[in-house]
Amino acid sequence: MGKNRPIKFRILELYLDGEEHWNYEIVPKIQEEYGMKDNFHRDSINFDILELASGGMLKDVEQKVDEEGIYKKGFLLHKYVITDFGRVRGSDACIRYM
Amino acid sequence: MDLKALKAQESKRKISKGYMWALFCAVFWGIWYLPGTVVWVLNPFDEMYGEIAGASGDAVSLVVTAVLITAFNALTVMLALMLWNGVLGKFGELGRTLKEFHPCSKWFFLASIFGGPVAILGSFMAMGFIGGAFAAVAALLYPVIGSVLAYYWYGEKISKRAATGIIIIILGGITIFGGGVITELAAGGVPWIGYLGGLMAAAGWGIEGAIAGKGLDISEPDVGLTLRFLGENIIWWIIIVPILAIVGYPMYSFAFQAFEPLTLLVLIFAGITFGFCYVCWYKSFPLIGVGRGQGIGNLYGLCAIIFIFLFFGDVPAWTILVGGTLCVIGSFVMFTEETAALETLRGE
Repeated sequence: MGKNRPIKFRILELYLDGEEHWNYEIVPKIQEEYGMKDNFHRDSINFDILELASGGMLKDVEQKVDEEGIYKKGFLLHKYVITDFGRVRGSDACIRYM
Repeated sequence: MDLKALKAQESKRKISKGYMWALFCAVFWGIWYLPGTVVWVLNPFDEMYGEIAGASGDAVSLVVTAVLITAFNALTVMLALMLWNGVLGKFGELGRTLKEFHPCSKWFFLASIFGGPVAILGSFMAMGFIGGAFAAVAALLYPVIGSVLAYYWYGEKISKRAATGIIIIILGGITIFGGGVITELAAGGVPWIGYLGGLMAAAGWGIEGAIAGKGLDISEPDVGLTLRFLGENIIWWIIIVPILAIVGYPMYSFAFQAFEPLTLLVLIFAGITFGFCYVCWYKSFPLIGVGRGQGIGNLYGLCAIIFIFLFFGDVPAWTILVGGTLCVIGSFVMFTEETAALETLRGE
């Protein structure tokens, strides 16, 4: 799929494997793929994940404190998993690649 | 700092930011009724109204003039949103999303049909014929239409609480519309077309919300909203305005006259306030939930009344005040359900 599809599609696609992923794993991956290296875009991608979660497509399953500064030192890290609704919306949107 | 304290801090930060965005939405949306009302008395729209009214009658003239005003509103909203996307560096995402016709753009273009030629045109008709305060509070009925549609289309449940809210909003609607009609019946002619505009605003925004949600939840709202207005500009400038011109209305000659400093300033003011009220609205949803976001956003009705009073010195009829208050209370009752409960309603 890569960088020619909207960012939220790509995020959903990454979660469609059904595994739980931390936001600090997903965000840098998207930044890398779309060539969006700065902190502003990092937060913007993280906000996309927040929106997907508030839309009921991802579920926040675990949180931990970023002690070492792997993502944003002193802030919370979140781990998400795709929901049934997210699976339906995600596979609908990504259908031609499945 | 430990996990618990950080969680509390994070949720506090989210909530305060979310309420801030939602309040900005209400203020921008409320302010929009100022340029929306003022633009009617500015040239070329004032002259255009007079000229067409002479030839085709008041009602036709009002709708045709409202078309040109709405078309310019769409144009300036688009400019404001393009600037916004430029600042956020989202042109790339704009292109990527536009190409996704099946899952995304299709819904935005469909939504723009109901948002533009129905809701915004209706609002301008109501502003032109009855007044800004009426136009603002009449549109407060939109959540009723939205939730009834969601019930029929997606089988979304209407909880007892939501039903209570709907009843309160409908009572408010009856007060606003009924009160106005009775007063005007007593005074003689009723400007029916203005009331029709009020209903169009409520119905159009309710339908737009139900449709746009389908594409917006998997795209970035900044980008999705811009595409929704791209759709509206196509509808006005490529379809409706040329058709009206072919039929014989002087659309282009008046459109060119709109490039006067004062008129342009008012139109740009309308574009900025309207564009950003949409942006703020969608920014608040992930932070405080769609329900609370819409509930706070609906305070725009009261903001509009306050701004109209401050700038024009107009005190609206008591029916508008009472009805508007009922609508705002109703939308709070309807939308302030627990967000978690709303999420599961939708997810299952």
